[in-house]
Amino acid sequence: MAFKFKKQLFGFMDLLRFKKLVPNRRAAFDAASSAPLPKTFKVNETAKILHPGNQTAKLVEIVKETADTKTYTFELSKKMFFRAGQYVEVSANVDGSLVNRPYAISSSPLTALKEGKLSVTVKKAGFFSNWLFDNANVGDEMIIGDPSGQFHYEAIKDEEVVVGIAGGSGITPFYSMAKAISEGVEDFKLILLYGAKTEKDIAFKEQLDSLVSDKFKVVYVLSDEKKNDKYESGFITKELIAKYAPEKFTVMACGPQAMYAFLDKQLSSMGIGGKRVKKEANCVSARDVKKAEYNITVHIRDNVYTVKADSRETVLVAMERAGLKVPSKCRAGGCGFCHSKLVSGKFSIAGADKRRLADLKFGYIHPCCSYPDSDMEIIVPAGLE
Amino acid sequence: MKKYDAVVIGGGNGGLVAAIRLLQGGAKTLLVEKHNIPGGFATSFRRGRFEFEASLHELNDFGTADNAGDVRVLFDELGVTDKVEWLQIPEAYRVIAREEKIDATMPFGKQAFIDKMESYVPGSRKSMEKFFALAEEIRDAQAYSNSVNGKTDQKVMLDKYANFVKCGSYSVNEVLDAIKMPKKTKDILNAYWCYLGAHCDDLSFLHYASMVLRYVTKGAAMPKSRSHEISLAMVERIRELGGDVWFNTEAVKIITGKDGGVEGVVLKNGEEIKTRHVIANCSPHIVYGRMIDNVDERIIKETNARKFAGRGFTMFLGLNKSADELGIENHNYFLYDTMDTVKQYDLMKKIESNSVQATVCLNRAYPDCSPAGTCMMYFTTLYMTDDWANVKPEDYFKVKDFVANKMIERFEQDTGCNIRDSIEEISVATPMTYARYCGHPEGGIYGYESQYWDGLMPRLLMMAEDHKTRGLRFAGGFSMRLSGYSSAYFSGDITGRQTVGDIKREG
Repeated sequence: MAFKFKKQLFGFMDLLRFKKLVPNRRAAFDAASSAPLPKTFKVNETAKILHPGNQTAKLVEIVKETADTKTYTFELSKKMFFRAGQYVEVSANVDGSLVNRPYAISSSPLTALKEGKLSVTVKKAGFFSNWLFDNANVGDEMIIGDPSGQFHYEAIKDEEVVVGIAGGSGITPFYSMAKAISEGVEDFKLILLYGAKTEKDIAFKEQLDSLVSDKFKVVYVLSDEKKNDKYESGFITKELIAKYAPEKFTVMACGPQAMYAFLDKQLSSMGIGGKRVKKEANCVSARDVKKAEYNITVHIRDNVYTVKADSRETVLVAMERAGLKVPSKCRAGGCGFCHSKLVSGKFSIAGADKRRLADLKFGYIHPCCSYPDSDMEIIVPAGLE
Repeated sequence: MKKYDAVVIGGGNGGLVAAIRLLQGGAKTLLVEKHNIPGGFATSFRRGRFEFEASLHELNDFGTADNAGDVRVLFDELGVTDKVEWLQIPEAYRVIAREEKIDATMPFGKQAFIDKMESYVPGSRKSMEKFFALAEEIRDAQAYSNSVNGKTDQKVMLDKYANFVKCGSYSVNEVLDAIKMPKKTKDILNAYWCYLGAHCDDLSFLHYASMVLRYVTKGAAMPKSRSHEISLAMVERIRELGGDVWFNTEAVKIITGKDGGVEGVVLKNGEEIKTRHVIANCSPHIVYGRMIDNVDERIIKETNARKFAGRGFTMFLGLNKSADELGIENHNYFLYDTMDTVKQYDLMKKIESNSVQATVCLNRAYPDCSPAGTCMMYFTTLYMTDDWANVKPEDYFKVKDFVANKMIERFEQDTGCNIRDSIEEISVATPMTYARYCGHPEGGIYGYESQYWDGLMPRLLMMAEDHKTRGLRFAGGFSMRLSGYSSAYFSGDITGRQTVGDIKREG
């Protein structure tokens, strides 16, 4: 001991004070309230509005927007608020199994918060959208998930003007943004270049036109039809972007892969990339390989299942086809919600996989973007209850 | 019905360690975690080409193989040290305080720390030596106390650790004043206070001094693949030892029997798990507030007496220029308005008035943590009241941006770096985010505050007395070791071993 510590004149007073630590704490307990403990807290309740988790929702309206696009409006059972541009997962019982797909929200954040209603606009394109088109009826109950995704305006890093590039049903998130801007929930200027095949393939035309203001402008670009001067024709080229965009802008694009491939060339020849370009990811679809069948052993909690997998489809699809309740959200490898431990087996990954470094190290996969290349064994978290 | 010797509720830092300890003690163990990945706050997430660390600034008390800290010793015992790739943080901290016009960068290593302090504050050496002498005695006393399971011999304490006992009831400032530390030295030394979240008139000197000592003498460590690497390593270890880990599995009830003791756990899907031992890696407020019926009035009073500590806010930036290009010189910065910690604590009560930040640029410790030509930063602050409760959902995203903007401005003003134009990715976590992922009341990230009456020493002294429900013990930031990574790991160690003892005694 290099020196003797003393705070009070007499060192024993310091000792005495130490001895009081326990009685002090007991006294604080004695003096406390015996009122029942709170069941919840305000911040935690607000968190539930921002992230309500899965909820049952009643389908209350179906509107046909174009020949192959419909808007489904749900009455929510929980309050919800989100960023315009986000998506939700919609789940329904199809022939005894729960099928889930992420769809961009087409309604405004305030409509969800104040009226408890949420709409998704769906193009008839795949298994679930076909099922929705042919089978969904007003009055049906489905499950709506958390609003998710980063396809929204980010005031801190984005320019004040966003050039939105929508291809086909990729209009959906921009329609939500246009409404949010007019309602004052989002604050930026949106110049929307909306590509469609023909005039009759344009969804929400009347509504979009009525939202036009100094903060929102829409230009329709028809690829398969020449129309009057109210429309542009052809593809969304760099010349077209330059014609409508100011000097500084951020690009947000939502559409099919083919559109992204074309757009990338346009933007790179304009010297635009990196932080200035945001693209919404598309779901991973089937791959083009020879059909092979594998067995996947799936552990969920203490249950073990063996499911058949088709080499052309993802591991997630194999589990869903077998009727297993497993987690999924973005179906594009990005959100990490299906994060599962690989025990054994070989697999290939579709492009957008965003596993973490430690996931690679310890052998975790994202079933939504992994195709089986052999029999596999995986440990999967339970699907949401 | 499924039966386990013990169920751990929550796979945060405390819960993960507790589960390993239970398994090492031969207990059949189930860990349930409501999220789809382990770690609680100890995780990472991807945005664009960046993988952000969610919470760990630097792991205290880890050290190196040659100079092992207590966390490394614990990880060695758990069998997880070698599952993780570690790197060392280069320097202790840089503190910039506006009111006092302080801008000091402090190194690791006791002698280097004292020398550097002397260069900033000539004449401070003697008080710094006293500070370290006290801090070392505190650690020795704590080691002795741990070695006898808290049943210390008063004579030994007074003979060998008199300074520990004599300074043990005082706050940081009371002790530093008693050893006549110059004001500026105190100001620089107190920079770490926000890691413990109580101001230095309230915060226990024992607690603060032992933390600072460990930082300075053992350095700080970081897992290369962010804290997600530690969390996955722990899960790996649990499964190696034969334990079960169930994700997306929320425990909603703890069933108690006639004696008030634990008999089982009910999961969200209604499934009942039979067990006589639960380690709760969550707050007593949640456990006694909604997971257990008919809670004894004394326990309710004790829970009501506790004060929630800081609610978290973190901004994560992925920048499209390197740290060199941006002029970001240091690994971690503390930016304060004032080193009057009471005044600073008050400013941190409101969203409007809080612009304190603890800021990290991981590339300064690990240049390759992001792609060449980029760097990553995270900026953290605490709110000392429940001010976020006043934020309405429709204003939430704007308030988030308001605080994020303020943090960027503050960093740019205090360091002279321009970072705003280089932001490629941004993500912001608020108290609502923390409430969502970990369920803690009010979005707190620091457990119960280290108030004078409820600090480290009284909690340790009352560990046995605080254990009131048979079969139920707590781990993590709300428990006896308070919050922070190292503390949470230690709490899991203590609780896990205690529960192994409980199982042997009580079945």
